[in-house]
Amino acid sequence: MTDTSASRSGSPHEVLASTRDLARTVRNAQRGTWFPLLLFGVVTLLAGVVDRLGYGHNALTCRSFVVAGGAGRICTVYNTWSAFYWPVALTLAYVAIAGFYLRRARSRGVGTRIQPYVVAGILLAVVLTVASLWAAHHPPGSETDFLGLHLSPQSWLRTFPNRLESPASAIGLALLVLSRVERSVSLLVVTVGYLLIVLVPIDFGWVIAHPSPWAFLPHLVITGAVLLLAGSCFALTQRPTS
Amino acid sequence: MTGAATHPANGLDDVVHQRVRLGILTVTHEARRVEFGFLRTTLDLTGGNLGQHLSVLENAGLVDIEKGYEGKRARTWVSLTPAGEKALRDEVAHLKRLIHQIEEATPRRSR
Repeated sequence: MTDTSASRSGSPHEVLASTRDLARTVRNAQRGTWFPLLLFGVVTLLAGVVDRLGYGHNALTCRSFVVAGGAGRICTVYNTWSAFYWPVALTLAYVAIAGFYLRRARSRGVGTRIQPYVVAGILLAVVLTVASLWAAHHPPGSETDFLGLHLSPQSWLRTFPNRLESPASAIGLALLVLSRVERSVSLLVVTVGYLLIVLVPIDFGWVIAHPSPWAFLPHLVITGAVLLLAGSCFALTQRPTS
Repeated sequence: MTGAATHPANGLDDVVHQRVRLGILTVTHEARRVEFGFLRTTLDLTGGNLGQHLSVLENAGLVDIEKGYEGKRARTWVSLTPAGEKALRDEVAHLKRLIHQIEEATPRRSR
């Protein structure tokens, strides 16, 4: 039996460096970033089909308000098919992701740390769905003053929470947890870029105005394409070397 | 207390400090649970050699070894015990202190 002491086979620097290399090898074997990215890319694009098929199946909630100059009504409309699709699709996706990582852990012989990501993903999906349904039934009122700012219902600060409670941001926020779990800086960069596209939002000049039945298309195609593209890049770089 | 008594090298545990065993602890810590075959490949060892090092770690109470089957295939899974986690943490801390001492001493000698 070889019983060479680490001190005899290298300096403390070398010993620490070799433990870091080993840790990196294990992390690379554990990573499967491409799968959730590709899966959510597909889920996002499928949402386009659901949105289009569910066009006309809308729920409408209105709220009246009175301002100095007169009175008005603000209504929110949401697609009931889409409201059903997202929580179900996200939950099923996280179950599939957990299954993928567990199967991979067994076949590769290394444990997985995916549990925090799956739990965070499902929690975010549930919380943000409830928040968006609540917001849909409580349309914003008239212009308000907030911290000295005069905010109209269309202002960025008033619409930002709506974007934050969207399924796309639920996906993005959970991906932040995955980047931490997988200790992946490249995934963190991709996720921050994705969240900027979702939350700013960035539409690259492609807008289809309401009431077109295709008004949802630019947002879903852009965010879905970003996820698919990123997932494909990770799939190429995370291929097993042996 | 003398300087030698407080030298970080004195805190190194021979069971943990051995190159292969430190590798086993590092891989197992990072993976949480690791299969015998993955350890053998990653550390570039023969099955017999790895088995002997695992026995030393198991007898020291630093790893748990779990044997079972997946279908017809025999599988051996290794995980760290709390004592193993602590031993690895202490080893890395000692190594860092050693590096710090070496780096502190080097410029003084060169002056």
